[in-house]
Amino acid sequence: MSVLTTIIMLPLIGALTLLFVPSRHKTVVRMIACSVTFLSMLLAALTFFEFNASDGAGYRNEQITPWVESLGIQYHVGVDGINIALMLMAAVVGYSATLVAKSITTRSKEFHVLLLIMIGGVLGAFASLDLFFFYFFHELALIPTFIMIGFWGRGENRNYITFKVTLYLSLGALIALVGLVMLYVKAGAGSFDIVEITKAVQANPISLADQNMIFPLLLFGFGILVSLWPFHTWAPMGYGAAPTATAMVHAGALKKFGLYGLIRIALPILPDAAAYWAHIIAWLCLGNLLYCGWVAMRQKNLNLVIGNSSVAHMGFVFLGISSLSLIGVTGAITVMVAHGFLAALTFGLTGYLADRGKSLELDQMGGILKSMPAIGSFLVLALMAGCGLPGFANFVGEAMVLFGSWSSFSMITIFGVWAGLVIGAVYMLRALRRALHGPLASNYEGVADASGIGAKAPYLILIVFLTLFGVFPRMLTDKISPAVESSLDLMKSTTSLTVAEKLNTDSADQTSEAPLAAESNSRGNLAESPQLESTQG
Amino acid sequence: MNAFLSWSILLAPITAAVLIGLFTKQNSKLSSKLSIGAIGFSFLMTLLLAAVNSGTPEIPVTSSVTWLEVGGLKVELGMIIDPLSMMMLLVVTGVGTAIHIFSLGYMKDDPSLGRYFGFLSLFTFSMLGIVLASNFFQMFIFWELVGVSSYLLIGFWFERKPAAAACQKAFIVNRLGDFGFLIGIILIWSITGSLDFGEISGAFTENPALLGASTAIAGLLIFCGVLGKSAQFPLHVWLPDAMEGPTPVSALIHAATMVAAGVYLLCRTLFLFELPTSWPEDFAWLNGVSSLHIVALIGAITSIMAALIATRQDDIKRILAYSTLSQLGYMVMAVGLGGAAAGMFHLTTHAFFKALLFLGAGSVIYAAHHEQDIWKLGGLRKKMPVTFWTFLIGTLALCGAPPFSGFYSKEEVLLAAYQSNVVLFVLAAITAVLTTFYMFRLVFVAFGGSAKSESADHAHESPSVMTTPLVFLAVLSVVGGWLGIGGYFGHFFDHGAVHHGHHENQTVVMFIGIGAIIFGFFPAFFMYHGAESDPLKKGLGGIGEFLKNRMLIDEAYQWFISRTHEALARLADWIDRWILAGFLVKGIQFTGEFTGRALRLAQTGNTQTYALLFGLGLAVALFVILL
Repeated sequence: MSVLTTIIMLPLIGALTLLFVPSRHKTVVRMIACSVTFLSMLLAALTFFEFNASDGAGYRNEQITPWVESLGIQYHVGVDGINIALMLMAAVVGYSATLVAKSITTRSKEFHVLLLIMIGGVLGAFASLDLFFFYFFHELALIPTFIMIGFWGRGENRNYITFKVTLYLSLGALIALVGLVMLYVKAGAGSFDIVEITKAVQANPISLADQNMIFPLLLFGFGILVSLWPFHTWAPMGYGAAPTATAMVHAGALKKFGLYGLIRIALPILPDAAAYWAHIIAWLCLGNLLYCGWVAMRQKNLNLVIGNSSVAHMGFVFLGISSLSLIGVTGAITVMVAHGFLAALTFGLTGYLADRGKSLELDQMGGILKSMPAIGSFLVLALMAGCGLPGFANFVGEAMVLFGSWSSFSMITIFGVWAGLVIGAVYMLRALRRALHGPLASNYEGVADASGIGAKAPYLILIVFLTLFGVFPRMLTDKISPAVESSLDLMKSTTSLTVAEKLNTDSADQTSEAPLAAESNSRGNLAESPQLESTQG
Repeated sequence: MNAFLSWSILLAPITAAVLIGLFTKQNSKLSSKLSIGAIGFSFLMTLLLAAVNSGTPEIPVTSSVTWLEVGGLKVELGMIIDPLSMMMLLVVTGVGTAIHIFSLGYMKDDPSLGRYFGFLSLFTFSMLGIVLASNFFQMFIFWELVGVSSYLLIGFWFERKPAAAACQKAFIVNRLGDFGFLIGIILIWSITGSLDFGEISGAFTENPALLGASTAIAGLLIFCGVLGKSAQFPLHVWLPDAMEGPTPVSALIHAATMVAAGVYLLCRTLFLFELPTSWPEDFAWLNGVSSLHIVALIGAITSIMAALIATRQDDIKRILAYSTLSQLGYMVMAVGLGGAAAGMFHLTTHAFFKALLFLGAGSVIYAAHHEQDIWKLGGLRKKMPVTFWTFLIGTLALCGAPPFSGFYSKEEVLLAAYQSNVVLFVLAAITAVLTTFYMFRLVFVAFGGSAKSESADHAHESPSVMTTPLVFLAVLSVVGGWLGIGGYFGHFFDHGAVHHGHHENQTVVMFIGIGAIIFGFFPAFFMYHGAESDPLKKGLGGIGEFLKNRMLIDEAYQWFISRTHEALARLADWIDRWILAGFLVKGIQFTGEFTGRALRLAQTGNTQTYALLFGLGLAVALFVILL
């Protein structure tokens, strides 16, 4: 049995065990939940740090157990540099969220059961190399999310918001499902195994017409799950209403599922459509970067500022993916990991305040940094990381995205720099000033700070990882970039020549904006560094 | 040896900052010892590094670490030790040490002293990182870190609203400059394929036309970073507000180090500005104008504008802040006119005397119980002799009176202007007159006459922990011109040597410089010696108010921002609320035959209906896509 299976099963077995623990034993419930997520995190960290990219390409820690052989469904897990980083992030976020879940008082056992199922589901989705299980694990994580928001959520609009979030996310998942099923059919591999399908389409690519039909389904299906503009409106209010731990796991880890799906499935299997749709993704990502940034500037509630900024940050990931370059995609994955830690951190901290019954309306906040130095300084760190400060992993990822997408989309990159450096700073610092600086708001008098290592631990773990990868980014990128490189190589070798020629004539007048047109023409390396292109041009 | 020394210079302050942040924040004494010990250690190591390498003009670049490598993007953390960075190291650690020690007295009653020294060490680390950076990316990393540590220091008293506003403004305005800076870095990298200063300048030596039509644009984008950090027009607005921070912070970041970083960057990347200029076709009307011309012009505008505004300010720190702006304009102008050596020389002496003036102001503010209005001070000359005499030395050095350090460096700046451009020279000379005027206005009103308020009346000399750094900096302000710093830079930048040939010019410039002091001093003497109120207030009328309100530039920005970004934000928010989240549901229905019913249902405000219709609508959309 692969260590990955253990990592996934630990929270799920924990959830199962909890069912047999009487609800009144709250301490036992907490102990079980915390220890399974802790062990899961520990194993994920060990696997991550043991992972050596120089051992060669391909998946590690694989396990294949056939299930429905007639349909080609099998339990297949395995990691390369991309998903081991995501699994580490998800496991850390899961543990941190479990620690924070201490504040749940009503029906605490049921909450913990659902939370553990959610964490197990996220981990499973990232580890799966079989489309069926990939999707199954995501649904396994998604359904508890709805229940938790509806039952333990906060705010007057809770029911409406639960409904809206459920509708959006189910719809997104449904569209993606249609796309995945079509992919399964058109690939003709008779297997749900991602590795098998990738091999099959390499020998026998899916026709351009089919690719162009499947790709948008995956793009918008996954896009809705990741709050791609203009399908983002569920996210800020959803996170505002969700219980703290749920918001942490969803915004941090589960939301990255859609992006991971795009990178793992859509790019290598549908390379021509990906090149074709890259422009559209790049323009849509401006909606996230600029538009959602502006929306964040106008928010009067701290959670909505953070929620919208979280949507805005997804723009960097989309921009990196649309660049289809080694630097850009590696940057996108780095942002995914960094944003996972960061989103969990910020929602954990605002949740700390909200769980104490305090309003997050900015005009009722103020001076928290003085009265609550620990929570206040964590929040300062989180907001600073959010506006792209060096020293945090987000900076590394965002910088790579911007460097990587320059040669494909220079104009959009300029907007991206503006969004990252200026708009991000404006809304983050405004929120910081109103919530943390100034005289202490009467509403916040007598709110206890997090004291003792136990209360600070959930936030400290996340900060440690954010800074560790921010100061030593190669711990992350040296694992990610070889995997991205082989994925892009795969994409390149799958591109059919006729398609490349068609693309080239279609966009001959805008070669500067068509990343693949110029390159696929010369059958050049997708991952080439941009200076080579510019000397050619 | 060199590698070890330079890394230990850089890492000592961050070690202190991390230790303070993690462990000793609550313990003021231990934190201050750690922080002062770290910068003192860095200073000693810098002296040692200078001594070990004295006599070797080109100090070999020491080791480097690959920080990030993905495809064509390779970022190394390297070290450049050459005369340029060596002198900056000495200034940052030397002046920095004096300011750290001064802080011990000035801030001694603050309950968050540990946090203060932690931030100071973080800032020192970031600044040293800029000085030692060997490539653009590393420069940008520390550039941002300087931005954030200055944010933390300016907003140190964040519970006061003006401080909270000032630090936010400083950070965002700096980010505006960084916007251009980062795009410039990406542009240069995308063409040359390198981020390393040495490699890029080497590539330019081989092929000066490497950047093609983007040459001038690339230079100006990098210059955007300079505009932000060195507070040049039009991004100067953050610096005066930043005076809300503790006064030693103003001395450290707004006189000696952070604001100098821009000028330093300009000199470090001078190879980029010296390329033969070419513009893209859309900018063909600019042909003949080089990026350095624009740099010089911006510098000149900043220097005269700030000097004019300074004559009508009443807050002792704000006068010094505008004076700093004005002098930074001098430095940028000098570099723009090809006098990089003059600019760096003036940067060095300015670090001495402006840090001295700020600390002197700090001593006054400390003694007068945080009274900063010069019209509420007065009569401090006898009560605070050490502060007064050192402040006077700083003033004379700033005005450029012989034989103080400012005289030598300012003369070089004026000479650079005189030899290149008459208009800019006249502006620079007028600035010199104004400088003497507003500085002696400050001295006469704050130190002369009689005490104008109770707090000034009760003032007495500050303790020796504060006066010793004053004396140390005063000595440097006096002798700074004789140490051969100008020649040191002159050898480094080839241009320096050229200027020294023209003895005639030098004499003319010297007389004009001294004349400017006389023209500035006597009006100040007649108007402000023993004055109780400002005669200029009535004398200048509307213009005076205009200057007092900082030429209304802040208001213009306010107006502009509220018309652009705020409006866009409002629009985006409105669309989000009413169209994407709400109205879209209705919009999709117009196609169906249920339009009438659906609209009536939708108007009930029943949220389930909204959601259901939305789902149906998307299903229709899906169907269309699938077809």
